[in-house]
Amino acid sequence: MTSTTSPKTGARRPSSTAPPSPGRSRGRVARPSGLPWILPAFILVVGLLYFCIGETGYLSTLDWDGTSPTPTSVGLGNYEQILQDPIFWQAIWHTVIFFIVTFTAQTALGFVFAALLHSKVKLSAVYKVIVFTPVVIAPATMAPVFRQMFAADGQLNWTLDHLGLGFLSQPWLAQSSTAMPVIMFITVWNFTGLTFVLYYAAMGQIDPETLEAARTDGASNIRTLVSIVWPGVRGTTVALGMLSVIGALKTFDVPYLVTIGGPNYATEFLGTYIYRISIPSAHVGYGAALSIMLLILALVGAIAIAVRANRKDSETGV
Amino acid sequence: MLGSSRIFKRSPLGAVAALMVGALALAGCAGGAPAETADQGSADSGNITWWGWTPDATPAEAYIKAFNKVYPNIKVTFKKLTIDGYDAAIRPALASSVGPDVFDVAPGAANGSVDIYGVNAIDLTPAVEKTLGADWKSKLAPIGVTSLMNENKLAALSVGSVFSGTVWVNKDLFDKYQLTPPTTYDEWLKVCQTFKANNVGCFVQGAAQTAFNEDTIQAITDNVAPGVWEKALKGEVPWTDPAIVKALGLWKKLFDDGIMQEGALGMQQYPDANNGFMSGKYAMVMMGTWYMQYSTIEGSTAAISGAGVADAKPFTQLPIPFPDVAGTGNVGALYGDADFGLAVNKRSKSIAAATTFATWLGTSAEGQQVVADVLNDIPALVSAQPNWDTVKLVNPEVQKPALEKLITDAGKSTEPRLATVVADLQTAIGVASTTVAAGEATPEEAAATLQATASKIK
Amino acid sequence: MRPVFEARRLSAKLILQILATLMIIPYLFPLIVMVQGSLAGEGVGNYRAVFEVGALGTFFKSSVIISVSTILIVYVLTMLAAFGFSKLQIRRKEIYFWMILAALTLPEVVLLTPLFATTLALGVYDTYWAVVLPLAALQIPFTILIARRFIDGVPDALFDAARIDGAGTFTAFRYIVVPMTRPIAAAIVVLTLIGSWNAYLLPLVLIQDPAQQTVTLLPQFFVSQFSNDQTKVLASAVITAIPEIVAYLCLQGLFERGLSAGAIK
Repeated sequence: MTSTTSPKTGARRPSSTAPPSPGRSRGRVARPSGLPWILPAFILVVGLLYFCIGETGYLSTLDWDGTSPTPTSVGLGNYEQILQDPIFWQAIWHTVIFFIVTFTAQTALGFVFAALLHSKVKLSAVYKVIVFTPVVIAPATMAPVFRQMFAADGQLNWTLDHLGLGFLSQPWLAQSSTAMPVIMFITVWNFTGLTFVLYYAAMGQIDPETLEAARTDGASNIRTLVSIVWPGVRGTTVALGMLSVIGALKTFDVPYLVTIGGPNYATEFLGTYIYRISIPSAHVGYGAALSIMLLILALVGAIAIAVRANRKDSETGV
Repeated sequence: MLGSSRIFKRSPLGAVAALMVGALALAGCAGGAPAETADQGSADSGNITWWGWTPDATPAEAYIKAFNKVYPNIKVTFKKLTIDGYDAAIRPALASSVGPDVFDVAPGAANGSVDIYGVNAIDLTPAVEKTLGADWKSKLAPIGVTSLMNENKLAALSVGSVFSGTVWVNKDLFDKYQLTPPTTYDEWLKVCQTFKANNVGCFVQGAAQTAFNEDTIQAITDNVAPGVWEKALKGEVPWTDPAIVKALGLWKKLFDDGIMQEGALGMQQYPDANNGFMSGKYAMVMMGTWYMQYSTIEGSTAAISGAGVADAKPFTQLPIPFPDVAGTGNVGALYGDADFGLAVNKRSKSIAAATTFATWLGTSAEGQQVVADVLNDIPALVSAQPNWDTVKLVNPEVQKPALEKLITDAGKSTEPRLATVVADLQTAIGVASTTVAAGEATPEEAAATLQATASKIK
Repeated sequence: MRPVFEARRLSAKLILQILATLMIIPYLFPLIVMVQGSLAGEGVGNYRAVFEVGALGTFFKSSVIISVSTILIVYVLTMLAAFGFSKLQIRRKEIYFWMILAALTLPEVVLLTPLFATTLALGVYDTYWAVVLPLAALQIPFTILIARRFIDGVPDALFDAARIDGAGTFTAFRYIVVPMTRPIAAAIVVLTLIGSWNAYLLPLVLIQDPAQQTVTLLPQFFVSQFSNDQTKVLASAVITAIPEIVAYLCLQGLFERGLSAGAIK
């Protein structure tokens, strides 16, 4: 791996001396088929999980408690019922707000942390561990910790009181108005480590010479971040956006364990609703129909992001 | 290095992939419901597995050890699942041929509902007749039998019962501030004011975990007008009955007057409220007979330490009747169900051995004595009583009479707690409790919503 | 590696340091509460109690076996597929891609019952495979998505040059993709480790043998129907998390050394 090619002459540098840009070279060299390469993963995923999707699709046409030997077929009845179900719409509305807030916060924080820790900040190993650790701790373990922290007599109110901000202290999880922001905070706390790790990896891919060139041209740090680093990690941002849509729709652990979807459905999500309906209430058919709705919404959301990203790619010619 | 020839132009992955397609296709065809077992196996030997969310590992070990003294050749493996994980795990397991031989069920809509999983169980009536005789029903607590029936079959044998309706108090805290446990609303209010003035929490309820709200509201309703709650559960009176509306109003008053702790709607009964009481932060909590186990030195110390208190010192915990908040004089109601029962999987390969174990724990004197002494459940066998010589109480002088009275009273009760509440109704009661508490609905509105939901439930 | 963010003056350095510190506080705060909780009550005794759970060694062994197998499967299949999707020719590529991604959208609780049936039919129920295969299948859509985007960033010119040099596809994969994707590979390994190490419901349901249970079942020794020893639950969580954090640090270190040594660039 010593002398063959140099990636430094690659595509990222805005220079006219570089070889033909990859976009145009695509047509010239015939590429080998990639099918055998994707097949093992495809078979494992599709083979193992599509049975589950099929089964769920079938169950969604039933009125069934999960054990009775005689389920009743209701056709698309469950879906009709979903469209008129106020809790479903409430859950969707929560999901939309939740996605916008948590995705923005996670992305911004993960990006800034990755940038900061790529620079020569002292004790960066310690910071990395602190940002990363929440990712590895199961929400089930942290739920009581957070309930304690945000309780009326919890550590957060205690801290506020001692900072002279006592007027801000309140029973955070007991009020519909503050329970959702707390759930969002916990989620961001939980997942920033993930976005951080991925951005950190992606920043390693940015051509150092481009950065150096920008600096030589006198570009400021902020300028470099905005005009070189941020576009450079766009692939990661798009992937994270798609994952966040799916993740937001599936949100379950945190609201279920911290607030049980309450108070009064203020933190009900599609994921918690599906769980409540399918397991404790044993409306397996209705739960399956909700799951299929989730699948459709998640795919539509993720595809929308991917399409938008592609359009932008072709506009800017990246 | 890149100069090497095209050895791997076509990878062998295709073959692997084809193989996997085959395997998975085969899998699809091979599926199918396993049949019920005809062969029942040996009644006094074999290996059986038992799945449950309760008891704890230690009492389970004690049960199995005592069982093996009588049946040394039946090896019982207990797999303890969490309450949250139980339903998710047991459903597919029972649908397969490799499920547990014995499994926990409970009455009502909570985890392991006998209404749902009872269909997977064999009828245990013949087995009980064999061990206790034809008049077996008179020897077992009635609430344990009726609540574990699944369509005329005895789907499980109750191991013991739990009752609610009591408030537990930290007597040491009451003594410290020269207070006596409240019996009326006004006394309760005064007690709370005194505690508050001394920076001690008064009454704690984890109102986010709504099943426990049901306990409190049922206690208040029983205080307003005995029997109305039970009738509403049976559908004999609507949920808009004035007694229930009044009870919801009193429930709301507990929040408004500060008897209920601040932020109750964001707390769960377990672990939050429990730990709050155990750590001495609160002087009162709404819990049932299962709290008897914390009257022992050992049980109390472990629970206090588990609540995060260093150098845990046991304190005197006492059950008191729910205060007469409505001023009617109707106090002391207890309502309960079988805590859990053992069901035998009809697809088990060792039905006979599994039945031996279930009947031994649920009906034999030796098995029920172990249950009684743990002080977690009121034993299912009427004749079994805790052995007070071996049970070490924190403060026997006050606690022993209180516990004896509680056990006797509970044995007389026939009022159901959660057994007849289906999940959708439980959810609806929960919604009523939290909307009223949060001031989002008046007691009348909440009762009307509850009735509307209840009337839709089949 | 060259910093993407460079502070040359002392004041700028100081500002960066303060900014990082301020941002880290909200992340640190719950962790402190957690560790504090794990030391409440019996203090270090909580940790001792966790270590005294008889099966701790077995739990760790099972979790290591499950995690390592899952990581191997996920890494190999992801890299092959991401390379295929990114740089090779596949007709109706996006349809395959979205079919894989669709598998990511089902909630775990819905998957459980069908997966149970599938593992039984495959004859892997009550073996490690029953957990490893679904875990890998659930992780792969996510990792392919990430890795594909990353490989997109590797210049096509490199592959064209290699092809002109007469290198086969596999050789190109071996000597271009594998080394150049080291940063994302480190991330994938870490994330798969977290996914498999923390798996709770799947091992609970699909493995029955007590000798194959995983570390995530540790807390339940301290939680029961009517008691909940929060201090020991938190101590178990700390003990369970440490191997993951150590693994992260090692991998992160490895990947940073790889980059700064100029292995590829």
